[in-house]
Order: sequence, then structure tokens, then C-alpha cells
Amino acid sequence: MENRKVRIALTKGRIENKAVDLLEKIGYDVTDLRNKGRRLILSVPNEDIEVVLAKAADVITYVEHGVCDLGVVGKDTIMEHGGKFFEISDLGFGKCRFALAVKKGTDFYMGYGVKTVATKYPEVTRRFFEAKGMDVDIVKIEGSVELAPLVGLSDGIVDIVETGTTLKENGLEVYDTVAPISARLIVNTVSMKLKQERISEIVRLIEENCDDKNN
Amino acid sequence: MKRYDLLTPEGTRDLLFEECAAKRSITEKLTRLFKSYCYSEVMTPGLEFFDVFNGKVRYFPQETMYKLVDGKNRLMVLRPDNTMPIARLAATRLSGEELPLKLFYNQSVFMVNPKDSGRDDEFTQSGIEIIGGEIAAADYEALSLAAKALAVCDEDYRLEIGDNGFFRELIFQLGVDSEQAESIREFIETKNYPALNEMLGGFYGSAAEAIKKLPALFGGEEVFAEAEKYMLTDSLCARLKSLKALYDGICGICGADRIRVDLGLVHKKNYYTGILFRGYVEGYGRPVLSGGRYDNLLGDFGREAAAVGFAVNVEAAAKFLYARGLEASAPDVLVHGGQGAETAALRHCEKLISDGYKVYNSLFASPESAAEYAKQHNIYRVDTVSADGSVKSTEV
Repeated sequence: MENRKVRIALTKGRIENKAVDLLEKIGYDVTDLRNKGRRLILSVPNEDIEVVLAKAADVITYVEHGVCDLGVVGKDTIMEHGGKFFEISDLGFGKCRFALAVKKGTDFYMGYGVKTVATKYPEVTRRFFEAKGMDVDIVKIEGSVELAPLVGLSDGIVDIVETGTTLKENGLEVYDTVAPISARLIVNTVSMKLKQERISEIVRLIEENCDDKNN
Repeated sequence: MKRYDLLTPEGTRDLLFEECAAKRSITEKLTRLFKSYCYSEVMTPGLEFFDVFNGKVRYFPQETMYKLVDGKNRLMVLRPDNTMPIARLAATRLSGEELPLKLFYNQSVFMVNPKDSGRDDEFTQSGIEIIGGEIAAADYEALSLAAKALAVCDEDYRLEIGDNGFFRELIFQLGVDSEQAESIREFIETKNYPALNEMLGGFYGSAAEAIKKLPALFGGEEVFAEAEKYMLTDSLCARLKSLKALYDGICGICGADRIRVDLGLVHKKNYYTGILFRGYVEGYGRPVLSGGRYDNLLGDFGREAAAVGFAVNVEAAAKFLYARGLEASAPDVLVHGGQGAETAALRHCEKLISDGYKVYNSLFASPESAAEYAKQHNIYRVDTVSADGSVKSTEV
């Protein structure tokens, strides 16, 4: 354990690509990361760093358990999944938002009837309406949530909205914003303390090089 | 209907052999340590009234407690924490005892963890509570015992010290309501700088600046010099000074490379009122030791007394010990009696044991199966005992 490299978990997909760009900008050799094939653990030559690729929620799990020291994951997953770790920076990329969307022209907050909301993020949805003091039925949907109000399963949806194109094409519109989202850098609470110098150094480099920060 | 008779509930486990030995070894070493400093052991019931953990201030969210009802339809919980029951005990049955009291315990706590999180719902804690006593003297003793307890888990430990008082005082100066205070506390605890800065965006003055800085004030001795720039009121300065004195004192005992500081330590169980500390070992993703000073908790149970204590997560420490490999030693002698010679064999065992041997009494029918067992389990001597008590010893 003593000599384990600093392990960074990246969320596969778009966040991974942005994060790899960021690591390259710092000056790390990312050839391995670009030509990864099917490998899941990748090394960064000349550095005491290795990179792990995982699904978003798993990034949190690995970091929480301390088998990865750092992680890059979307705020959406953090909000839905929770967990104990340090959420030390907002990397600025992967920007979008959680929004409540409804069929065009409907007024969701009107009336006293209990509304039904379909979502892939029941936890986020529950907290949002709890804070509003609104009683809603939440239905968990795994795939395209936009379908639910169209076929009459729900009155609205809570989902990640980036450009709003999918909503528009299906006759839906954003009714309210739930929370802004972007990629975050998370750190295991024990690693931060036991490897403070090395991790602070990596965090500093990452923060200095994430130019999207103020976009 | 699905039957659950062959399973243990999620978050619980059967511990076997070496795992048990590792756990036992940790509790035994810690017990020896606490006893050597004249701490007295206490045991509290596993079942407690819900009200014990749901007092004026709610330190335990109800969704994290295992609940049931007793025969009179009263709400009970499986003990979610050891400090609260011991505070209750010290304020009630021990109310006639003179302070300070030095108590220790080895007992499990229960909590409902999120589904499939891989965490234990039941785990054993070994810890101490010092009730009463001079604050500084008690803090020193608690910290030095914490360091010794960590050394039992791993020589290369880190003990981290903080003080909840900084946060409490600063948040009071800031003048926010309890809900906002809790959000701020959470952002400090998770070192969530972006959220903290955003939340405090509209606040100006030294308290807001200090709060923004709190989560970044961790590391070694250099932290104190940095913190001085932000701790501007007299009482904050005094607090920082006494923490520095404590830090220096403990560094003197354990070595500065073992001791860390984090002024951003703010515990969710906010019964802590003064110093807070945590222990870390490499290879375990969460603290193995956690504790602090709680000067108001006994007051909740009707006896005003300052107190400080900590608990070691024995399961975590044992996992660590187990992962490094415990040497399990084989028996020295296998004693075989066979039918008619059972008691003779046992008498021979007794004699060998009193001579200091580790003995395995054979329960096999034939000497051949006994010898086979000895071979498989690396037992190099087999004593065959006859009904008249005569012994034939063979080296294998």
C-alpha cells in the first residue's frame, strides 16, 4: 500500500475527454490515455500517477473507499449519489443544469392536485420538491425521460438539460431550474491528509490549467 | 416467500478464525492500554430508548438508526453510538461518583448505511471517555492515548487535531440561522471551496474571511502561522494558542511527523465543543479513530460536566491487521485416544498444556485419520494414548 501511485478516477465519456485534455495541458504524457483500448487502469509515464476509468457513480464509490485518491465527476452524480469526500474544485467544464420541464404551455405549480414527476434522478427531485414544500409523486425512469409526460405517465420531468434541443423536439419546455451542474474534482478524505503535499500539488496544477473555469 | 435463514443481513458478517483473531488482538491490546492507565470498563445495553439519542439537540438522524418497539410499545434503538449512553450513565448511575471518571468500553454500534455502500451496519468500537478533570490535562491524556491506540493499529499512523470552537465562534459572529450554519458546516467538512465561497459571497468582514479559509487550514506546524492572520478576536487567538500548545505537547510525545492539524474539522455530531481529533492509517479510506471534547452533552442528561473521549473502529483496524497477515501457528502436539481412551487422552492433554504445549485433542475414530489430520495441519508430533494412560509419542 505504501508505494501505491496517486490514483485518479475519471468519469468515462465526455468528462474523461475534457479531463484528459486538462492533464495534457498540465504537461503529463497522455498517450496511454488516448490509446487506451479496453484497458481500465492507465499509467501516466514519468509521473507517480495512474488513471482509472469508471462510470460516474463508481468514481464516487472508488474515491469514497479510498482506493482512488482523486476523482473527476459531474455535480449531477454527486447530488444524486451523495457520499463522504472532499469536493474541492469546480472544474468548470461539463456545464449544464438540472431542470424541471413540462409540456409546452402547462403551468406545473398551479392547482392543489399532487403532480407526478418522472426522472432518472429521484434523490435530486425529492430534495428539490421537499425544499419547495411540494408533495409530488416521483417515478424513476431509466431511459429517455422526455417520453413520460408525452404518453401521460407524468406531469413533468426533472432531467439534465444542456441545449434544450431534445425538449423542444418533443414539445417540452424548461419550467424551472433545479440546480446548475459542472464537473468537480473530488478527493478522498484520508488521502488528502496522508499525501497532502503530492495531492495539493496535483490539485494546484489542475486548477491552474482548467481554462474553462470562467466560461 | 423468500426465506432468509441462510444469510446474514446486509452490512453484517460472520467473522471466522483469523478475522476473529485479528479483531480480538486489537481489542485485547487496546484494553491492556486503557487498563494500564487505570481506566475502568463499562458496558451499556445494546438496546436503548430512542429518546436517549433524540434529545434537545438531535445528533443522530433517525433514518440512520435501527428502531424497534418494546413490550410497552415504546420506541427503542440499537445503540448507534457509545458516547451518548456513557454520558447518560455518568449523569445517572454514576452521579454520586467523584469526578474525574476514566471509563473505557469495547462494544458494537449499529447504523443503517445507504444500500450497497459496502459499509458495516454493525461494528465494534473500543474507546475511552474522560468525564470531568482539568480541560488541558484531560485533552493531553486523551490525545496521547489516542496516539498510542493508533500505534496498536499501525506504527505509521497520523493523528489529526482540530477544534470545533473555531467554527462555532465564527458562525456566531457571522450571525446566520441554524440552517445556513449547517450548510456552511457541511461545505467546510467537505472542503467544498466553490460552494463555500458562493454561499459567503454576500458576507464581508473578518468572520466570513476566516470561515472561507478554514477548510484550507490543514497540514503541519505551518498552519498555525497562517491561521493567525485570520483569527482576529481575542478568544479566537486564545483558542489558537491553546491548540498550538496542545499540538506542541503531543508532538513532543509522538513526534511531529505523526501529528497533523486541521482547523476545518467540524463534526456532524455537533455535541463536540472543543478539540476534535481523527486518526488515519495508510490503506484505509476513512478515519480509524475519531473523538473530541463534548462539554455540554452530560448537561443534556442532567449533570453538568466537561468530557473528552474517542473511539477506535476495531473492524477497520482488524481488517488492516488481517490484510497484512496474522501468523496463525499450528498446534505442537496432536493427542489421540480413540474409543475407550477418551478420558485418558484428555488427562494427557491437560498435562501437556500445563507444560506449555499447544495441543489438539483428536476426535477421530482411527489413529490413521488422526495422523492424516496432523499431516494436513502441520502438526509434527502425535501422541497416542491408551486406556491405561500409557503414551506413545511419534514425530511426523
